[in-house]
Amino acid sequence: MPGMGLLLLKGMAVLGFISTSAMFLIWWERKVSALIQNRMGPMATGWHGSLQSVADSIKLLLKENIVPAGADKLIWWLAPFFVVFPSVSAFVTIPFSEKLVPRDLNVGILFVTSITSVCVLGIFMAGWGSNNKYSLLGGMRSAAQIISYEVPLLLSIVLVVMQTGTLSMVEIVRAQAHGWFLLRPHLALAFVIYLISATAEVNRVPFDIPEAESELGAGYHTEYSGMKFAMFFVAEYTNLFIISAVAATLFLGGWQGPLLPPVVWFLLKAYGIIFLLMWVRWTLPRVRMDQMMAFAWKVLTPVSLANLLLSGWLMLR
Amino acid sequence: MFRPIKVFFLSALSLLIGMKVTIKNLFSPPVTLDYPNKKQPMKKNFRGMVDLKPPACVICYQCIKICPTAALFLSHKTVEQDAKKKNEITKFTFNAELCCFCGLCEEVCPTDAIYLNQMYEVSVFSHDDLLSIDLMDPKKYKHLDDRTVNQPEPNPQ
Repeated sequence: MPGMGLLLLKGMAVLGFISTSAMFLIWWERKVSALIQNRMGPMATGWHGSLQSVADSIKLLLKENIVPAGADKLIWWLAPFFVVFPSVSAFVTIPFSEKLVPRDLNVGILFVTSITSVCVLGIFMAGWGSNNKYSLLGGMRSAAQIISYEVPLLLSIVLVVMQTGTLSMVEIVRAQAHGWFLLRPHLALAFVIYLISATAEVNRVPFDIPEAESELGAGYHTEYSGMKFAMFFVAEYTNLFIISAVAATLFLGGWQGPLLPPVVWFLLKAYGIIFLLMWVRWTLPRVRMDQMMAFAWKVLTPVSLANLLLSGWLMLR
Repeated sequence: MFRPIKVFFLSALSLLIGMKVTIKNLFSPPVTLDYPNKKQPMKKNFRGMVDLKPPACVICYQCIKICPTAALFLSHKTVEQDAKKKNEITKFTFNAELCCFCGLCEEVCPTDAIYLNQMYEVSVFSHDDLLSIDLMDPKKYKHLDDRTVNQPEPNPQ
């Protein structure tokens, strides 16, 4: 096949970007948390500890793979792949610039949201396969949370789709040529709802009860070690990048911006949202499980439904 | 009916207030030190290892008497010099394993010859290095020197 080489190159580029981005994000998160808490963070490896993640990943590669006694072996082995695979696949439609899209599907945003839902499966498999109470609890909580928060997340995305009339990510960005969607009031509300539910989607503080260190001992990935643990970590930070990239595409005008090249604009917007999420993470405490579910079903879903109804009526008028 | 709305707005407000606090701290300098590379400077009254300025010592044995753990040992001999009798220290050792760093020897010394310096990284590989430290030796803490800042200047009198 003639296109095979190019496809392979694209895949390798995406994988390279994912691993560097995840390593950078881990270092950045540690640095931001340290600075917010008036500490210094990693300082030993490289300039201000910038090579710390590289050292950590080498360490994790060399570590032993421990299988807990009584684990459901097949499920236990498959789970990390099920967690990593959707977050890698979601990169297919993310438009870094007008030309730099792995493949511009006409169902782009639908593809991203549906493929990232597979993540729940992997997380629940990890929770079940570990043969550990805390992992199972973490996995169940995570599944409940991700499925609940998907409703307001999709309802806020539907608003953007209604506005543009297309599901293609590239087309959505082109529709924002004369102003970001963030600047329109009903879409700004959708953006806030999207950010809140996306934070819950990737299990971050204040919605990180499935991974709560103090309550569950890190939840579903307690029993994993070495490279399998690293895969969970990479998937977590890749998902963080994906939700930020989708937010930048849907609400902040994607690659569009003056002077700088489009790729730089896109990355600036995506990492800006990631910084916002980190900032929130190190500000807020963790919420209780029932509070979290109540917030999803009693506040976010009705508000986004009302927003959908009102703006739909305004669009049709 | 109004309560949930009030709670919603108050929590949003508190989120903004909290984020203001954290962003302030993000740009404020860290309070911790990059420890092995940078050292915390010690205060003047820090009680580190026992040190001695040998020329200032008048061999009054006050420090030996006051030491609650008998960590100090002093012996002297009398020598004739230019038809004058003079006392000379033969041995003045300090047992850092016994010392409780109370600082009484420093307090009682009439000439401020014995004092506690500002060294705080004093761990060694062998007990023998701490059992009898020769206070007359000017290089007694040489092996610890490069690990400690603010070592007071040797003060010849």
